[in-house]
Amino acid sequence: MKKLFMVLLIAVMATTLSGCKNNDDDIREIELNVFMSFPRFQEQFEEYFELFSEKMLEEENIRVIINLEMPSSDTAQQLLQARLSSGDAPDIYTLHAIADIPSYYEAGYLLDLSDAEFVDSVYASVLESVTYDEKVLALPLESLAWGYLYNKDMFAEYGLTPPETLSEMEAVVATLNANGETAFELAFQESWIPQLMMALSLGGMINSEEPNFVENMNAGTGSYGDIDEVFGIIDLIMENGTDRPFETGGAAGSAAFANGEAAMWVQGPWMSGSILEVNPDMNIGLAPLPITNNADTTMINLSTSTSLGVSPSSENKDIAIKLVNFILDAEHSSALFEELKFNPLSSVHTYETFPWVDEAMSYVALGKAYLESALPNGVTDETAAMLQEYYAGTKTKQEVIDAIDAAWASAVALQN
Amino acid sequence: MKRKLSSIFFITLLTIFMIIAALFTLSPILLAVMNSFKSNGEIYTNILSLPTKWSFDNYVTAFKNTNYLQSLFNTIWLVSLSLFGIVIVSSMAGYKLARTKTKLSKYIFGIFVISMLIPFHSIMIGLVKVSHDLHVQGHLWGLAIIYVGIGSPMAIFLYHGFTKNIPREIEEAALIDGCNQFTLFTKIVFPMLKPITATIVILNALWIWNDFLLPLLMITDKDKYTLLLSTKMLFGQYNSDWSKILAILILALLPVIIVYVFMQKYIVKGVSDGAIKS
Amino acid sequence: MRNSNKVLILFCLPAFLLYSIFVLYPALGGFWYSLTNWNGLNPTYDYVGLSNYLELLDDKVFITSLLFTAKYVLYMVVLQNVIALTLAIIIESLSKGKKVLRTIFFFPNMISMIVGGFIWMFIFTKVFPQLAEMFGIAILNESWIGNPEYSFYSILILSLWGSVGYLMIIYIAALQSIPGQLIEAAKIDGANKLQTIWHVVRPLIINSITIGIFVSLSTSFKVFDQVYSLTGGGPGRATQVVSMNIYMEAFAYQSRYGYASAKAIILFVTILLITGVQLFVMKRKEVEM
Repeated sequence: MKKLFMVLLIAVMATTLSGCKNNDDDIREIELNVFMSFPRFQEQFEEYFELFSEKMLEEENIRVIINLEMPSSDTAQQLLQARLSSGDAPDIYTLHAIADIPSYYEAGYLLDLSDAEFVDSVYASVLESVTYDEKVLALPLESLAWGYLYNKDMFAEYGLTPPETLSEMEAVVATLNANGETAFELAFQESWIPQLMMALSLGGMINSEEPNFVENMNAGTGSYGDIDEVFGIIDLIMENGTDRPFETGGAAGSAAFANGEAAMWVQGPWMSGSILEVNPDMNIGLAPLPITNNADTTMINLSTSTSLGVSPSSENKDIAIKLVNFILDAEHSSALFEELKFNPLSSVHTYETFPWVDEAMSYVALGKAYLESALPNGVTDETAAMLQEYYAGTKTKQEVIDAIDAAWASAVALQN
Repeated sequence: MKRKLSSIFFITLLTIFMIIAALFTLSPILLAVMNSFKSNGEIYTNILSLPTKWSFDNYVTAFKNTNYLQSLFNTIWLVSLSLFGIVIVSSMAGYKLARTKTKLSKYIFGIFVISMLIPFHSIMIGLVKVSHDLHVQGHLWGLAIIYVGIGSPMAIFLYHGFTKNIPREIEEAALIDGCNQFTLFTKIVFPMLKPITATIVILNALWIWNDFLLPLLMITDKDKYTLLLSTKMLFGQYNSDWSKILAILILALLPVIIVYVFMQKYIVKGVSDGAIKS
Repeated sequence: MRNSNKVLILFCLPAFLLYSIFVLYPALGGFWYSLTNWNGLNPTYDYVGLSNYLELLDDKVFITSLLFTAKYVLYMVVLQNVIALTLAIIIESLSKGKKVLRTIFFFPNMISMIVGGFIWMFIFTKVFPQLAEMFGIAILNESWIGNPEYSFYSILILSLWGSVGYLMIIYIAALQSIPGQLIEAAKIDGANKLQTIWHVVRPLIINSITIGIFVSLSTSFKVFDQVYSLTGGGPGRATQVVSMNIYMEAFAYQSRYGYASAKAIILFVTILLITGVQLFVMKRKEVEM
C-alpha cells in the first residue's frame, strides 16, 4: 500500500514536471482567465479564442493562454459573484447588460471600454444598452427581440395566426385543445424559464397601461397587485401546458418543443440553436405575448442580455481589450455569430438574419416593441422562485404578489 | 422440534427481506448501468429491460467530453497530496496533544475539536478570499493545502484518542536511550499509529474524492477539474439525453466501484474503527 | 515556558497554522461580516451592529427553510438510526452472507451525493413513471421532483440510501463487541429474541446509539448536496434547506453576504446547542443504566 502510494506520487510528479517546457526565444507568454455562462457554446468559443491566440502570436509575438471557464447557467452567477467578492475577478466575464451593468459598475468591477475599437461598429441602439454613466462598459453579445416561440407548421395546420389579445389567445388554446394538441410547453425545472412569463407581461404593462409602475414601486406606493391582470395569461399558460414541468429543463424543453409536443413556448430565440439541433426542419415562429384584451399591451421585448466586461484588476488589460475587440473582428465575427444564432449587432455582421428575427422585426416596425428596463437587484430571482411555487400550488397569487413586493422594497432599502 | 421449525421459518423470512433490501440498495446503480448502454429512444420504450444492442457510443462520447483521464488523474493527485499532508501534520499534533498534560494542550485540543461542528457554509466566502490573497486558489496543490487545514481537526481527534490507549513505556525507554523527540516520533511512534492512520486515510479519501462545493469555488481551469466537477458541468448541457448522462455518471463512479470491490474489507473496517474511536 | 509546552507547540504548529488560515480566520471573518452590511459585491461596507440578526427574526423565507430543515433532521435521525440498527441486528443474527450484505449496504456511502442525486433523479423522473404504467401503481406516477409534498420524501430516500450504511457499520461493530456468553446466558434464562435485544443488547449498545444520533444530527443539519442535485431547493423555495438558503443569500438574490453570514452563525449555534444537549442528556442516561 505504502509502496504503491510512493510509486504513484513519483509518477505524478514526473508528469507534472515534464509539462513545463522552456521557451528559449523571446515570446512573451500571458494568461487570460475568461468566464462565460455559455456551456452549450464551449466548443465554438474555444475555437474562436484559438484564432485569437494565433493572431496574437503572429502579430505581437505574444503567446496568449486562455483559461475558459464555462459553468452551467444555474451556478454561473453565484460563482462569478464569489470570485468578484473575494478579489479573484476573471480578466473577462459575461454579465447581463441590463440587469448587472449598473451594480457591477458601481462596485468597481467594470473597466471603461468607451475607447475600444468595437464601439465604432456596434449599432447605436444596442450600444445604448451597454452604456451607463455615459461610458461603454461591456461588449454586447446577445441582442434580442423576443416574445414567445410558436410552431408555425402546427399553427398553419389548424388555420391559426398569432393572437393579439388575451381572448384571442384563449380561442387559439381552445382550438389546439379541440385538436388534441397541447398549447404550451412548460419547462420549469430552471426557475429563469417560468420567470420569462412575468418579464414579458410586466414589460408589456409598464410600457402601455401602467407607465408609472416602476416609479410607484420605488416610492413604496405601488404593488404587483396593480398589475395583477398579468395573472390572466400566466394562469392560461399554466393550465394548458405540458405535464411534469419541474422535471423538464431548458434542453429537454427544446427537444419537446422541437418534436411538436406543444404549439407554443414562452421562451426566447436564444433557444433556437438547441431546437434546430433536434429538428432541423422546424419552422420557428416568434410573436409578442398578449397580456390583456387591450392589444396595445402586446409587444416585442427588445433587450441586450449577455455582454462581455473586462475587469479593472486585470493584469493584462491591453490584451483583454484586444480579445474583446476580436469578438467583433471584421473577418471572423460573422461566422461565429451566425453559428451561435445570435442577432447581428454590428456593421461587421454580414450574414443573413434568421426568419424569426425578421418576424419579430415586423412587429418592431409597427411600433409594437419596447426597450427592456432594469428591475432592482433580486426582484427577478424572487419572481422566478415565486412563479415555480405558484405552479406547484405552495403559494397563492396574493402570496406571490406580497413576496415580490417585499423583495422590491428590500432592494430599494439596500440601495439607499 | 416445533421451536426449530418456526426458527427456520423466521430465518428464511429475514433472508428474503434482506435480499429485497439489498436489491433495492443496488437497483439505482444497476438501472443506471443498464440504461447507459441504450440509445436514448430505447430508454422510453422499456426502462427495465436489458439493452437490445449493447452500445458503447455513450461511453465514448462521455469519455471524450469529460476529459476523463485528465480529470481522473487530477482527482487522484488532489486526494493523494491532501492525504499525505493530513496524515503528517495531524499525527504529529494529535500524538503530542495526547501526551502533553498541560493547560495549553487542553486549549489547543479544544479549539481543534469545536471546529468540527462549523458548517462549511459559514467559512465559505472568507475561505475563497483568503485563498485568493495567498495565491493558493486555482491550483490543485493549493486546494490540497486547504483540505489539510479543514481535515486536520478530525484526524487530530482520532490520533489523540488512539495515542491515549498506547502504553507510554516504549517511548520512555527510547528517550532514556537518547532518542530525540523527532526520531522518537518518526521511528517509533508513527509506526505504532498505523491502524488509525489507515482509518484516517480511508475516511478522508472518501470525503475529498466526493467533495463538490470547494473544488467548484477554487478551481477555475478546465484542465484542473476533478472528476465530479467535469461531471456536473456536463450534466447541465445534456439534461434531456438520459442515456448519455447515465454514461457520464457511471464513468464518474467507476473508480469508486473498482476501489470498493478490491478494498471493501479495509474500507468497512476503517470506517468502523473511525466511528468507534470517536 | 515549560519544556513540554515548547515541544507541543512545535508538533502542533503545522496543523494549527493551516487550520487557523483556512478554518479559524474565515470563520471569525464570517462572524465579523455578520455585523456588517457587506453585499458581497461592493468593496466597501459598514458596521451595522446586530441589525442583521434582528432582521432574521421576521425573515419568513429563512424561518421556513429552518423549519423545513428541522423536519428533515427529525425524519433523518429517527429513520437513519432505526433502519441502520435493524439491518445491523438482522445481519448479525444471520449465519451466512454477513459480509456480502454489509458490503452491499455500505456501498452507497462511497458515492458522491451529487452523482447519487442525479442517478436518483433518473429513477424518480424516468423509471417511476414507467413502473407506474407497467404495474398500475398510481403513487409512482406522482411528480417526485416537482411536487413539494413528494419531493421531501425523494430527498429523504436519497439521503437515507446514501447514509444508512455508515451507521449500520457502527451498530454492527457495537453488536460484535457484546460478549457471546451474555446472550447465551439470557437464552438459558429463557428469554426470547426480542427480550434479549431489549434487556441485554440495548444497554450495551446505548453508547453507540448516542454516537449514531450525534452523527445523524450533525450531518443532517448541514445537508446540501442531496437537495442541490435533486430539487435544487425547488420548486421555488419549497424544499430549500438552511445551508442552501445561506448559499443563495450570499451568491444569488441580492448577494447580501453580511446577512448570509448572520444566518450561517445561527446555523452553527443551532447545531452546537442541539448536539450539545443531545450528548449531555444521553451521556447522563448511559450513566444511569
